Amino acid sequence: MGDVSRRLTGLTVATAALAAVLTFGATPAEQASPPPDFGGATAADATTSEASPGAASDRAGPSSRVRSALPPQRILIDTVGLDARIRPVGVTGAGDMAVPSDPAVAGWYRFGPAPGSNRGSSVLVGHVDGDTGDLGEFASLYEVRPGDPVEVRRAGAEPARYRVTARSTVPKDSLPPSAFRRSGPPVLTLITCAPPFVPGRGGYQANLIVTAEPLTA
Amino acid sequence: MTSRTPLLLGASAGACALALAVAAPATAAPAADGDDKAMVSVFHGVPGLTVDVYANGDELLSDFEPGTVTDPQSLDAGTYEIQVFEAGQGPDGTPAVEKEIDVPAGANATVAAHLSADGTPQLTAFTNDVSEVDAGKSRLTVRHVAAAPAVDVRAGGQPVFKGLENPKQDTAVVDAGTVPADVVLAGTDTVAVGPADLNLEEGTSNIVYAWGSAEDKNLALATQTLSGMESAPNTVNAGGSGAAATPNSSDEWLAWAAVTGMVALTGALLIRRTASRRG
Repeated sequence: MGDVSRRLTGLTVATAALAAVLTFGATPAEQASPPPDFGGATAADATTSEASPGAASDRAGPSSRVRSALPPQRILIDTVGLDARIRPVGVTGAGDMAVPSDPAVAGWYRFGPAPGSNRGSSVLVGHVDGDTGDLGEFASLYEVRPGDPVEVRRAGAEPARYRVTARSTVPKDSLPPSAFRRSGPPVLTLITCAPPFVPGRGGYQANLIVTAEPLTA
Repeated sequence: MTSRTPLLLGASAGACALALAVAAPATAAPAADGDDKAMVSVFHGVPGLTVDVYANGDELLSDFEPGTVTDPQSLDAGTYEIQVFEAGQGPDGTPAVEKEIDVPAGANATVAAHLSADGTPQLTAFTNDVSEVDAGKSRLTVRHVAAAPAVDVRAGGQPVFKGLENPKQDTAVVDAGTVPADVVLAGTDTVAVGPADLNLEEGTSNIVYAWGSAEDKNLALATQTLSGMESAPNTVNAGGSGAAATPNSSDEWLAWAAVTGMVALTGALLIRRTASRRG
């Protein structure tokens, strides 16, 4: 039996070593599993619109939401080379968030707050890759680190500036509704797709969510 | 998806929206200050009369102009004696109209002072459906509170509600956006009110009051908007070919092959060794 367990140990070590080589050898966008989460519970998760006392009066109140009239035009995260034009998007007929088909272009969820708003989660989305096999601009989100500066350029205003605070991967059917909250502390929420990739089940099965908080001037 | 449950609850609650006494969609829209409160707004739709509104003898509103609606305010649930006086005549004078109204806990309601179909002032309590709507949608409710016969309501030229009578309401969830709307006599193309552009913002409930008097030719529309009914999109499909998930360098394939091969080889050796020990 000792013989067997020694061999098992050897096997484990060999496999782990190779796995380690693989993990560090692959560029983040090429890995078959999503990049690690960081940042823990985000501001987006911590405050759901259902739970906060202020939201109840919002819900019942008149249309008093603060909406920025400044649609975002371009997002840049220099540390990972992300640079994408932005266009407004809504929802598809099936009730899914619409995503620009060009993986070089990001979509802003126009029903929610615009980046630079003083409340709620401003959502930008981008394809992780295109149908032709090109990687999307938002594939760079696999490489971001806590503290990375995010700049969202707007027409007629200074850029809205954020820093990355959290990243998480969630199954596509469990996207936290707080990512789309319209009240509470302001955050920028960046969404793309993440492995596993199952062609027979609509492709990617998870969403990668990066949360960024406003830089205080 | 967590929003599904409130959506379903909202739908079932919405079906009961006609009667205020019926449980309001409290699950989807909690009251502001706990379980024993209700959100109440007041609409004034009696033409030509500025009023003061009293609840249980206390002044609730003063110098309230026709065609306006108040912001919702939090009230204790319970039964209220609502009295509407011509401005300055209350509370010891003769009310223009009065009614006992039951406000259940958790409800969101609008009390409307308006004309009946035959032109008599009356009070009607409407339950506001504040359940969530799907992403990209908006709720449109029309309340017929005018001294006028049954009407059809058209949006973008298409009838949305048909045969609506005073003092009833009809409601539908529609795509968010701006639509031209008008009110016609039921079954005809005779325009009674409008057209007017309705700005139906996403995630809101928009309540349109058709008020006034056909005989006095002062039919008009007034709109009350309640926000906070938005819900998140179902999913975000932000992937294409799978390129970002697929190892695509040949080195990597070799490495994977090596791991797989090694596992298989070692596994086979182990099995053989175990087998030989047993033998």
